[in-house]
Amino acid sequence: METKIENWREKELSIEEVFEKYPEIPKIVILKTDVHRRGYILSEKAQDLFNKGDYQSQADTIFGKKEGENKIPIGLVFRDGTSLVGGYYTNYGIRDPYVIDDIDGKFFLTDNGKVYEEVEFWREPDFYRKKTSKGTPMGEVVNVRPQRLNVAISRVCHFWDKPGEGCKYCNVGINGIDSVKKGIPDLFDYDEVAEAVAEAVKQKGRYAMIMVTTGSILTGKKVFDDEVDEIIKAFEKIKPIFKTNDLKVQLIASAYDKEQLKRLKEATGIIGYTSDIEVMNKELFEWICPGKAAHIGYDEWKKRIFDAVEVFGEGNVNSGIVGGVELAQPNGFKTEEEALEKYLAEAEDFAKHGVSIAYIVWGVCGIFHNQVVPSLDYYVALAKGLNEINIKYNLKPYFDDYRRCGNHPNTDIGRIYW
Amino acid sequence: MSVTLTQEVIDVINGKETKKALATVDKDGRVNVAFKGSLHYEDGLLVVNELLETSQTNKNLTYSLWYDKEVAAVFWGPGATEYQVRGIPRKVLIEGPVYEKAYVAALERNPENDLAGVWYIEPTEFRDLTLPTRIAEQKAKYPILGHLDKDVNPDYYK
Repeated sequence: METKIENWREKELSIEEVFEKYPEIPKIVILKTDVHRRGYILSEKAQDLFNKGDYQSQADTIFGKKEGENKIPIGLVFRDGTSLVGGYYTNYGIRDPYVIDDIDGKFFLTDNGKVYEEVEFWREPDFYRKKTSKGTPMGEVVNVRPQRLNVAISRVCHFWDKPGEGCKYCNVGINGIDSVKKGIPDLFDYDEVAEAVAEAVKQKGRYAMIMVTTGSILTGKKVFDDEVDEIIKAFEKIKPIFKTNDLKVQLIASAYDKEQLKRLKEATGIIGYTSDIEVMNKELFEWICPGKAAHIGYDEWKKRIFDAVEVFGEGNVNSGIVGGVELAQPNGFKTEEEALEKYLAEAEDFAKHGVSIAYIVWGVCGIFHNQVVPSLDYYVALAKGLNEINIKYNLKPYFDDYRRCGNHPNTDIGRIYW
Repeated sequence: MSVTLTQEVIDVINGKETKKALATVDKDGRVNVAFKGSLHYEDGLLVVNELLETSQTNKNLTYSLWYDKEVAAVFWGPGATEYQVRGIPRKVLIEGPVYEKAYVAALERNPENDLAGVWYIEPTEFRDLTLPTRIAEQKAKYPILGHLDKDVNPDYYK
């Protein structure tokens, strides 16, 4: 990160003021949102405690930061079951991070000397250190959240193939290019994926969802035909693990046309489908997601998500956005008020077509690494507004809720309304 | 403020024959009551396993945890013993070893079961609602209450 906001505490509402401004939004969700926005670090004592625990950690350091022998956490769980995905050193340097401290052998989130909430770290699952029949550690094939298995099809997003077409907020494309340079294949080995999934689900109660995602694959007779084919190939290996025809799976992938959607649904039995519009404004989409704009376009991407409701059913289709990226400069909205007004209006258009919107807190990286994320006030207002839209249109995206995903403040709130 | 329960009360709460119900309220103040056989007392807290993600109890417990609102559990034990414990949900486990153990136990009872969460409720108030106890209490505190015919001297009419 390169952009520090000097005296940021004096320039925006404090978390206590935000608690007061939004009494209808639970404090834990506001806190989680703020921790995601500002990031967190560990005190020395907390790091020692974390090192000794049976927690999931990143194999490698992030941001090129040397951490010595220390393990690096990848997520938190709050006492209401809300998850924080990532957060360690996220947006580091823009504002001050929260500090997780060890208080009497337990982890607590603190800020400026004030103790907020006890938190836990994500636990390592039983299968992680086992190896596939080809000798790969299963934790390198499939990764997990507290209640979810994450399966990837392709490591590479091919919107990055042409210089200047990668999404500006994203580092998946950059990482994909790096892995190809290292000689790592584009595609995961689906036999190994199936072995890891089969081993993982032996741990009873550990998973409520498989999330399958892929970098976009643009080739085929029509754009994304090869992507759909690859997903179907992966499911030929995964599906026999389960006895049901419909699978508790959320697919997060490109925006397919109706024929591709039907082919995919029929061949895989996937219940939930997400195609991320990422930026809910046509002009900003064209600036921020130039590859998506060039190959599909904003209006067509939207239409395809709407069409997916016919195939997957209402409540089983949503679209993700990178919350806050709409305020990236120089082309983004100039004020948070304008962004909120335009975003909620556009989210309502999605909702009218049976599609709910789920936002993530923007962690600046990629081409946008020197941008700054908006205020907590903005993120809470966005969560509140999106939740109200879901209620108004009776949308209940359980497949992307606090348990099955955990990365969306607005669906965290939804759990008492649905 | 947390209250401590006596062993006698704990024995009734944890009794296998005890009937147990949990009353909760939603965000609009609507009351919901449901039998919860899994309610028990453990390390100073009431614990309840909620099976269904979409149950009103599950939503209401979440609401109460978020906003420090009380819920109330009642226990109907041997000899018509009746206890009420009010409390505030403080934590729910939706993953981890304790959750997984409870999940497996739920499946052993019925393979169709699932488990939304293991809820921990901090007791804030205890009331002995056993009828003879309550009658005696009321008589002592409010002698004005009750019907006259019960106070009539039967010898008067002889």
